[in-house]
Amino acid sequence: MQADSKEEPPKQHNSLDFLDTRQCFQLSLCILIGNIGLIFIMPTVVVMDVSLSMTRPVSVEGSEEYQRKHLAAHGLTMLFEHMATNYKLEFTALVVFSSLWELMVPFTRDYNTLQEALSNMDDYDKTCLESALVGVCNIVQQEWGGAIPCQVVLVTDGCLGIGRGSLRHSLATHNQRSESNRFPLPFPFPSKLYIMCMANLEELQSTDSLDCLERLIDLNNGEGQIFTIDGPLCLKNVQSMFGKLIDLAYTPFHAVLKCGHLTADVQVFPRPEPFVVDEEIDPIPKVINTEGDEVGTGITDDNEDENSANQIAGKIPNFCVLLHGSLKVEGMVAIVQLGPEWHGMLYSQADSKKKSNLMMSLFEPGPEPLPWLGKMGQLGPISDAKENPYGEDDNKSPFPLQPKNKRSYAQNVTVWIKPSGLQTDVQKILRNARKLPEKTQTFYKELNRLRKAALAFGFLDLLKGVADMLERECTLLPDTAHPDAAFQLTHAAQQLKLASTGTSEYAGYDHNITPLQTDFSGSSTERM
Amino acid sequence: MKIFSESHKTVFVVDHCPYMAESCRQHVEFDMLVKNRTQGIIPLAPISKSLWTCSVESSMEYCRIMYDIFPFRKLVNFIVSDSGAHVLNSWTQEDQNLQELMAALAAVGPPNPRADPECCSILHGLVAAVETLCKITEYQHEARTLLMENAERVGNRGRIICITNAKSDSHVRMLEDCVQETIHEHNKLAANSDHLMQIQKCELVLIHTYPVGEDSLVSDRSKKELSPVLTSEVHSVRAGRHLATKLNILVQQHFDLASTTITNIPMKEEQHANTSANYDVELLHHKDAHVDFLKSGDTHLGGSSREGSFKETITLKWCTPRTNNIELHYCTGAYRISPVDVNSRPSSCLTNFLLNGRSVLLEQPRKSGSKVISHMLSSHGGEIFLHVLSSSRSILEDPPSISEGCGGRVTDYRITDFGEFMRENRLTPFLDPRYKIDGSLEIPLERAKDQLEKHTRYWPMIISQTTIFNMQAVVPLASVIVKESLTEEDVLNCQKTIYNLVDMERKNDPLPISTVGTRGKGPKRDEQYRIMWNELETLVRAHINNSEKHQRVLECLMACRSKPPEEEERKKRGRKREDKEDKSEKAVKDYEQEKTWQDLERLKSILERGKEELAEAEIIKDSPDSPEPPNKKPLVEMDETPPVEKSKGPVSLLTLWSNRINTANSRKHQEFAGRLNSVNNRAELYQHLKEENGMETTENGKASRQ
Repeated sequence: MQADSKEEPPKQHNSLDFLDTRQCFQLSLCILIGNIGLIFIMPTVVVMDVSLSMTRPVSVEGSEEYQRKHLAAHGLTMLFEHMATNYKLEFTALVVFSSLWELMVPFTRDYNTLQEALSNMDDYDKTCLESALVGVCNIVQQEWGGAIPCQVVLVTDGCLGIGRGSLRHSLATHNQRSESNRFPLPFPFPSKLYIMCMANLEELQSTDSLDCLERLIDLNNGEGQIFTIDGPLCLKNVQSMFGKLIDLAYTPFHAVLKCGHLTADVQVFPRPEPFVVDEEIDPIPKVINTEGDEVGTGITDDNEDENSANQIAGKIPNFCVLLHGSLKVEGMVAIVQLGPEWHGMLYSQADSKKKSNLMMSLFEPGPEPLPWLGKMGQLGPISDAKENPYGEDDNKSPFPLQPKNKRSYAQNVTVWIKPSGLQTDVQKILRNARKLPEKTQTFYKELNRLRKAALAFGFLDLLKGVADMLERECTLLPDTAHPDAAFQLTHAAQQLKLASTGTSEYAGYDHNITPLQTDFSGSSTERM
Repeated sequence: MKIFSESHKTVFVVDHCPYMAESCRQHVEFDMLVKNRTQGIIPLAPISKSLWTCSVESSMEYCRIMYDIFPFRKLVNFIVSDSGAHVLNSWTQEDQNLQELMAALAAVGPPNPRADPECCSILHGLVAAVETLCKITEYQHEARTLLMENAERVGNRGRIICITNAKSDSHVRMLEDCVQETIHEHNKLAANSDHLMQIQKCELVLIHTYPVGEDSLVSDRSKKELSPVLTSEVHSVRAGRHLATKLNILVQQHFDLASTTITNIPMKEEQHANTSANYDVELLHHKDAHVDFLKSGDTHLGGSSREGSFKETITLKWCTPRTNNIELHYCTGAYRISPVDVNSRPSSCLTNFLLNGRSVLLEQPRKSGSKVISHMLSSHGGEIFLHVLSSSRSILEDPPSISEGCGGRVTDYRITDFGEFMRENRLTPFLDPRYKIDGSLEIPLERAKDQLEKHTRYWPMIISQTTIFNMQAVVPLASVIVKESLTEEDVLNCQKTIYNLVDMERKNDPLPISTVGTRGKGPKRDEQYRIMWNELETLVRAHINNSEKHQRVLECLMACRSKPPEEEERKKRGRKREDKEDKSEKAVKDYEQEKTWQDLERLKSILERGKEELAEAEIIKDSPDSPEPPNKKPLVEMDETPPVEKSKGPVSLLTLWSNRINTANSRKHQEFAGRLNSVNNRAELYQHLKEENGMETTENGKASRQ
């Protein structure tokens, strides 16, 4: 990723107004526009089968006798150890299930607790997968809501239970569900379902277990995978199965952060996932460049990760620390390029007074992820501009860019769908009519606004009605009224009547009714 | 997500035949009586809109909402049909705004009730609609050009919304058949054309509208597939506000919108400025802004039907902005909004509040009384966005501190300098295309990257790694040398800087050389200047390929660095007797030297013998070439007045004695060159290699950058 250029959030320095400083905060949020698939952390739920069938012994030549659950615990230990080293920030929860389910360890980063729980599992009755999956839904939604992707690691032996609550039964009744007892798959959050079978392929294929488990993945919109043990059930083969899971889902994401010749090896956490922008036009998921393209931009794979991991206790200067420090002090964000037409931003993120770190937020891939910054490709160095757009004293900003057309709420549109909308507009004219000649300009402005809308909607009756109303107002003028008022009212009424005929001569959309030039009008305009 | 789904192209076909001039028979009171002026005045009779007016304003409202939320890539083509089809605008982005459409509609005017109904038909409009759907939009064109051989991936779908007054169900069927047939014909035409695209999918939405109080002659029918290309649905709707409601529901369906009602907005009363009442404002936006509610099936929260319309809205409570609210919320998305009732007073109050740069946090009403902020309203550049804030547990909880990681314990980063660097490398939009000399388009972002590359060719990250960037005197050169091209004035400034440095060296000014990491004393003054010159040369050399003028700066630098050989020689050999005289004279002039003299006077009584030698030793000791006395060097030699430092403590007897012996001995032989140039009594070997290799010079064990 290339820390592209430093770009200041649209904020103003000249004021201590809370909102101005807030603007900087707003940009430092992870903002994605439009349809988004937010790329974020992936908490893990480990769902462990503790039914009796998991206690089936495994025939091992060696002295000790193993049960399937021991193999499972061994594999999970390996996974937890891997995460404790490489995914320190990942949250993991442990759920055990049989005919009931129980949350043994709520989401935590403490892998010791998870490890302990593995060794304290009791044996229970039969497998009842559906209720366990419902449990997973509840746990994840309560903790993370519906937008955070989760990985579900289901550990089972391929015995899917019997009778009611068995997976076969669940699948057989899948089509007869109502909203209230919906099948938990697909999960109501972005997910991957990894099924770790403590059985080998032949064993699963001897029954319809494999088919049922494959159905599960299908029901999760194909998001997930089934792992089986290659060869005889033994510790070594369990290890290699979990190794495959780790390679697929838990490899750390190494990258190089480049700002010209200044570079730093970084690990991006959580791992950014590929992103499909438009399945039709560009069905290939966008992946963050890890190869480093020919111009030297983008993320390059970290070839020396051993080296960087062992960097001697933070004593070697690192560009990330420099960048972080300066971003923090200056209150700026840096734009990062992650691939062609994919950008993000780097900023200093503090959760407390003491701890802060360099944070990267990814924008939705595309040429213009934040409309108020314009097209990313059009952002160039200020040195190319005739004068510094941030001002000599840093007192202005070229951002935000204003859209070409204002939105309806910013341009005083006329909508008469509700009678109140129409009434308000008529009242406005009437109010100003009564304050003629002082309000001559506003009177005509409102009158012309009404006229334009009435012409566009083909609502000519309204023009006639308002003309009648103005004529009546004229008759109601008090004796003390300025003589100009009567002239203007009559003139306006007459013009509206002409427009209401719909003849092109008087009903031109761009034509405006102008105040009648009277002997008094000169003085009245001066008074305006 | 598909960019070219049905909602990329919407064609409105509105009936402009004589019967559309009929009243919708829904009256609007427009002459509202104002109190205290009502005596004896009979209000004007209410008026009613025609079917045409109802159709036009409802479709304009549809467009308004669509343009607010999708200012780009969602296009409308407006067609009016009577004795022929009048196409009011095109697919181009410039034509996509309400003003254009309103002006075009005004030009058409209301239908003429006296026109011959026989020659008027909605069919003209429908045929034109199919025709226009085959026309390529600029977005489709762009995507096709970009995809080259995969151009066929660009879809061509569209939707026709036809508002008419049909006579019967069979009339409707006739209209559908006509569309079906026309698509078939035009797809044949399009197949042989480069400018047209075949229609892959067309959604026909037929809206039959009729005056309130009449019976509908047409029955509703939900979406039905008439052919693989065409689906059709029929809505039979009374005119007036019913039609507007229908189109409001349709725009939500067609563009995946959802509704949020902001409740409890405190607003000052117009009449009584010191009281305030609470208002509600309903906003539309993309439904993804409700993703947390939808996924969790949590629609019970505030989900309610409003005003008998069938749509659901989610209610969120206004939180009065607090001034110290900097608590960070993780924003997971921002969506454009459009108020349902755009010009009602509560709506415009809210939108103006936001457009003026204020933000509003929105709270989910919960029975338990716990406060959950789930959204934020805020504007950016005149557009209002509904920001989704993550209200569940933050996954970024308790992140590690950067100081725990690599490089976290280094304390002398050039933070301020890098801040300056960032400010120089800030971005700004360049909206007008620029071209390179070879005529190709210049991408501003690439220019920004080029500049970063140039500015970082030599950029030490920590203070102790650099001398020149710690020197104010170098700034004029360092700030311009990174530029792509230099002006004559720039070159002049660079040269001045170099001369200035030469001057400093002549005057023997101290340099801010760091000795961190080196054991014991730092390099002596002479060596310091050599380090400085080498570093400066590295910086300038990194840029010599930028232009011929950069080259000139280097030439100047090289010329100034290399001293005449005889001077070099003299320096190397230490002081000769003959120039000792004026050397000491010069030194005496110096205040600091004078102080040394005073010290010496004090010592005279102690050391009676060899007065002359002693004096000489002291002078030589302070000359740049002689080794520094031990135990008086600060770690970082930033000291501007080293002699003063020295005078603080008395020189030890041993020093005086050894100096005398050394001086005496030095007169008897020529000093070994290595010892003369040594740093801490260590001489660097094979120095000539460095000079030969030039750029690969190594200083202080630090590889110089290119």
